[in-house]
Amino acid sequence: MSTMMNLVLEATWQTAVMVFLSTIFSMLLGFPIGVLLHVTGSEESGGIIPHPVFCSVLSRIVNVLRSFPFLILMIVLMPLSRLIIGTSIGTMATVIPLSIAAAPFVARVIESSLKEVDPGVVQAAKAMGSTNWQIIAKVLIPEALPSLASGVTLTIINLIGYSAMAGAIGGGGLGDLAIRYGYQRFRPSYMVAAVVIIIVMVELIQFIGDRISSHLMSKR
Amino acid sequence: MEIRLRNLRRSYGQLHAVEDVSLTIPSNTVYGIIGKSGAGKSTLVRLVSMLEVPDQGEVYYDDKRVDNLPKSELIAERRHIGMIFQTFNLFSSRNAAGNIAYPMEICHMDKEHIRRRTEELLELVGLQGRGDAPISTLSGGQKQRVAIARALATDPEILFCDEATSALDPQTTRSILALIKEIQKKMNLTVVMITHQMEVVRDACDRVAVLDSGRIVEEGRVSDIFASPRHPVTKDFLSSLATVRESIVRWSKEGGHYTLRFRGSKTDEPIISAVSSSTGAVFNIRAAGVQNVDGEEIGVMITDIGPDAEAAGKAVAMLRSKGVYVDEAEEV
Repeated sequence: MSTMMNLVLEATWQTAVMVFLSTIFSMLLGFPIGVLLHVTGSEESGGIIPHPVFCSVLSRIVNVLRSFPFLILMIVLMPLSRLIIGTSIGTMATVIPLSIAAAPFVARVIESSLKEVDPGVVQAAKAMGSTNWQIIAKVLIPEALPSLASGVTLTIINLIGYSAMAGAIGGGGLGDLAIRYGYQRFRPSYMVAAVVIIIVMVELIQFIGDRISSHLMSKR
Repeated sequence: MEIRLRNLRRSYGQLHAVEDVSLTIPSNTVYGIIGKSGAGKSTLVRLVSMLEVPDQGEVYYDDKRVDNLPKSELIAERRHIGMIFQTFNLFSSRNAAGNIAYPMEICHMDKEHIRRRTEELLELVGLQGRGDAPISTLSGGQKQRVAIARALATDPEILFCDEATSALDPQTTRSILALIKEIQKKMNLTVVMITHQMEVVRDACDRVAVLDSGRIVEEGRVSDIFASPRHPVTKDFLSSLATVRESIVRWSKEGGHYTLRFRGSKTDEPIISAVSSSTGAVFNIRAAGVQNVDGEEIGVMITDIGPDAEAAGKAVAMLRSKGVYVDEAEEV
């Protein structure tokens, strides 16, 4: 029993680390792309620096990356992990493909949050002589904050799902545990434990995310 | 600051939103631009306020041309104008004081100065002590007051009001207009008011331009326009003023239907009696009222003149010779 306990705890820890790090990296990658997608969009859609060619090229790239099945993307990106981390196996090595896989998703989430900002407010900021940078940093992002918080929640939950899949190619974590012990060694208790912990994680993240979002809204 | 527009044009594809508008908006006045929806008002204000570039024509603030400024100068110039909107366009992520502070923050002003100026402005618009109120807790009138304070934060010389009172009830509209007039005097502002409400022009403006299909069809002092409108669109706006139109009961079947306009001291003279006794015309007054326009009294009377066309013709001629504006009224 204690071996199971240890294995489950270790896997939970690995999943937490994977999700935490890949959330940060996917945000670092996806946030600027999301902002770019929005600000270079057409004027009607609220773009403040319309650039149709740039925007549509970027949008295509994001779409292509998003349409990759995650499992295949992981395999394609293995050499990159080897280049950066030195190995393509293990929890840390998984963070790279996870981050890259989630970044286009983050970009779209950020973009759609920014699109919700009232264009009149942006126009007012422009009329007052705001620079583009000031509009992004002092108007768009603060105005979209409650929605951005929901987007981050959504991203983390997605990454929990992805990280479980990453287990299939040797990434460790709860997905790995469920496959190797629960499925391949016919030990349903491991499978159940892994699934239950993932459910609890998702619920917890959703709960915290909702609280943050509604806290931000309540101040308005 | 004087604003001069020269041959401004702006089209969107086939739609000519603004067609050849030339206008001088004198310094230190409240200038109204009135037009129906689709007349090109919004485009015009966006052109004048440097939010949009005209296809043709020039915009001058005093002697400085501002329609073709490079980006950095454009941003600097925008910081010298204030603008308020129909939908207020306040930042929901900031409280009232934060909204007012914004234009000063983007100019990198000293924090202590921003704090003091914000307090001053809150007091100026009658919201002292409400600085920490979230925007969603304010009423429409209070929101517009915050917007006015925000627009004035950097001591602009021009204030653009784009349908600023259209979303407000009549009472709040009056108080906001009174506030704008008061501030205009206090700060020697040039206020440009875009509106579709003749009440706004009557209650707040010194001069007015009437915009129709992207062109200025009439321009002048508000009291002149009220006393002797020339263009059909202007007349339409005047007859839509609730004070006159709502009180009309019905027209008589004989004679002609006329709108008479008296101004200033003539509102006190017994002109109708004089005309009636010397021409034999009979007046059947349907509606009448006196409005105060920019400090001057303008009387409006809607009347049938009978008993026949000849007497009516004579009466009209005599009224005109006495300086009364007479116009055949359109059917109501």
